Amino acid sequence: MTAIDLADAYRTMAVYRRFEEAVGAAVVTGEVHGEMHLGIGQEAIAVALRAMLEPTDAVVSTHRPHLHALALGVDPVALLAELLERSGLSGGKGGHMHLFSRDPQFMCTGIVGASAPLACGDALAQQRRDPGRVTVAVAGDGSMNQGAVFESMNLAALWRLPVVFLCEDNGYGISVRRDVATAGQLADRGTPFGIPGHACDGTDPEAVYAALGPAFERARSGDGPSVVVATCYRFRGHYEGDADTYRPKGEKDDWMSAPRDPLSRLRARLEAAGVPVVELDAADAAAEAEVAGWLEAARSVPFPDVDRVRDDVYAAPGARQGVRA
Amino acid sequence: MNAAGSDRRNGSQLVAETLHAEMDRDPSVIVLGEDVAELGGVFGATRRLRRTYGDERVLDTPISETAFVGAAIGAAQAGLRPVVELMFVDFLGVCFDQIMNQMAKARYMSGGAVTAPLVLRSAVGCIGAAAQHSQVLSATFAHIPGLKVAFPASPGDLRGLLLTAIRDDDPVIFLEHKWLLKTRVAELPFCEDLSEPADAVPFGELRRLRDGGDVTIVAAGFMVQLALTAAEALEAEGIRAGVVDVRTLVPLDREGLVREAAAADALLVVDDDYADYGMCGEVIATVAEALGRGAPRLARHALDVPIPANRALEEAVVPSAASIAAAARGLVSASAAQVPA
Repeated sequence: MTAIDLADAYRTMAVYRRFEEAVGAAVVTGEVHGEMHLGIGQEAIAVALRAMLEPTDAVVSTHRPHLHALALGVDPVALLAELLERSGLSGGKGGHMHLFSRDPQFMCTGIVGASAPLACGDALAQQRRDPGRVTVAVAGDGSMNQGAVFESMNLAALWRLPVVFLCEDNGYGISVRRDVATAGQLADRGTPFGIPGHACDGTDPEAVYAALGPAFERARSGDGPSVVVATCYRFRGHYEGDADTYRPKGEKDDWMSAPRDPLSRLRARLEAAGVPVVELDAADAAAEAEVAGWLEAARSVPFPDVDRVRDDVYAAPGARQGVRA
Repeated sequence: MNAAGSDRRNGSQLVAETLHAEMDRDPSVIVLGEDVAELGGVFGATRRLRRTYGDERVLDTPISETAFVGAAIGAAQAGLRPVVELMFVDFLGVCFDQIMNQMAKARYMSGGAVTAPLVLRSAVGCIGAAAQHSQVLSATFAHIPGLKVAFPASPGDLRGLLLTAIRDDDPVIFLEHKWLLKTRVAELPFCEDLSEPADAVPFGELRRLRDGGDVTIVAAGFMVQLALTAAEALEAEGIRAGVVDVRTLVPLDREGLVREAAAADALLVVDDDYADYGMCGEVIATVAEALGRGAPRLARHALDVPIPANRALEEAVVPSAASIAAAARGLVSASAAQVPA
């Protein structure tokens, strides 16, 4: 396994941070009228995932899915347009928790834990057709207590499915702390099924990459699933507008301080390794410009046609209304 | 009305034969579920499939309905055409999220980009197994936009609607009534001529199995068979009762229902699913909305309690040919009383 390119990781994480900030700003302007879950603080996991994924791999993500979509290479403008309630990735019908792309194959679900069975089915379909292909089932720490995830681990182990169960452990299921909701160690959750588990520091792309490595290798070589748990912290509330009174200020300040913030921490590390500050500043500026460009392009995507709100329920329109084809 | 001759097969054999033919025709069809491979299904509806198609296409699953129904959806989205068996429809409760939130909505949530062409087959209806193994729950599925619901009433439709279900690009809930699975086709009140290979039966087109006049009984699944028996009994009393089989709850042949209602003096809807907020109400609303004051007298006959264990209690609440006849009789006499002298 080659090492992750940290300078490239920094550039990408800067893009991810700006992307999520732009989406957060769109909530304030009212371009997004509904619930919005951002992945700020969790960029190191997505960037390591990006380094591990092949374009033919699939990702099934959660209610906090944007960075995983970007990591797989989903068209950022179509993605952003969907988030901005335009006729984007899902024609404005999916929204930010229900993003679907066929190529690359990405989907997500707003139901906690529901991504795991879907990922197993995707892997089942692909395992004979395209051996070596991997399906990533993203979960949060909260979803690891869902029966769907346990059932899926059993199924994946039995059928040696090429699945990587990637758990983003940001410490909270909405307001409930992990230690209040979760018994035992998350990385051990696959142990009874014979599934190896890897715990890592989810704020360090190199550590996440190192943990994902054996999991992807195992899946690609047909040996079955793995569990990877990446510990991190969400910098925003559960959703935009969350008063976030449940997390102690000291805890937030600590996790979000420059030495622990995944982005500034990596920057400091690159600086210490001799990367010129101007280069890092340039990466920041490029990220800013890139996201601004996507935003402009996304804002020019038309809004969905209200007359087509009843389309796409079935293959043929009108099936529910009793209209004969 | 029974054209099956001396055919000794039952419905489950017909399902298995149809699955066999479809797996032969289309290599993307796989079958998965509890006890479907080694045992061939608890009702025998997947018998001998594994022998022909092997472990790769016929998969016994753990008792994990969320995982294997969800996996069927994921596999469908990735290009397969899974036929997944939910052994008893009552087990819906342990996998409803995958059905309601994933299966039903993938097409819509993706703006049409992603489809989930799969069939969820499930055994429904009362065979003396009480409240958790006797339900029908057809309306629970039919309530959710994105699902199609087929409910065959006869051996021919078990074959023909299943063909359509497997070839359909939308997720289809295929409800197999246990009496239809278990009864020899020649012993049913109604059976088509099964000597020719099955043709696909289009969804959303009801059929009239018996002409009436005084009252038309609308039903689905095995209740259609019972309604035909009831109609026979009513004829001996001088009441002309027609029988209409809706065949698919979604899509529902609303035009056909209105046409049938317009031609009837009274319309009785029979269901072995729960009465409230169900198929009966949907049919009656469709007719009432279209015909207004011109609608025939309308009534429903369906369950309003959980299904009890004791035989006498069960018979008191689950529709039977006798109870359907009684309901029709009551409706006809009420209609007659309404007619001005």
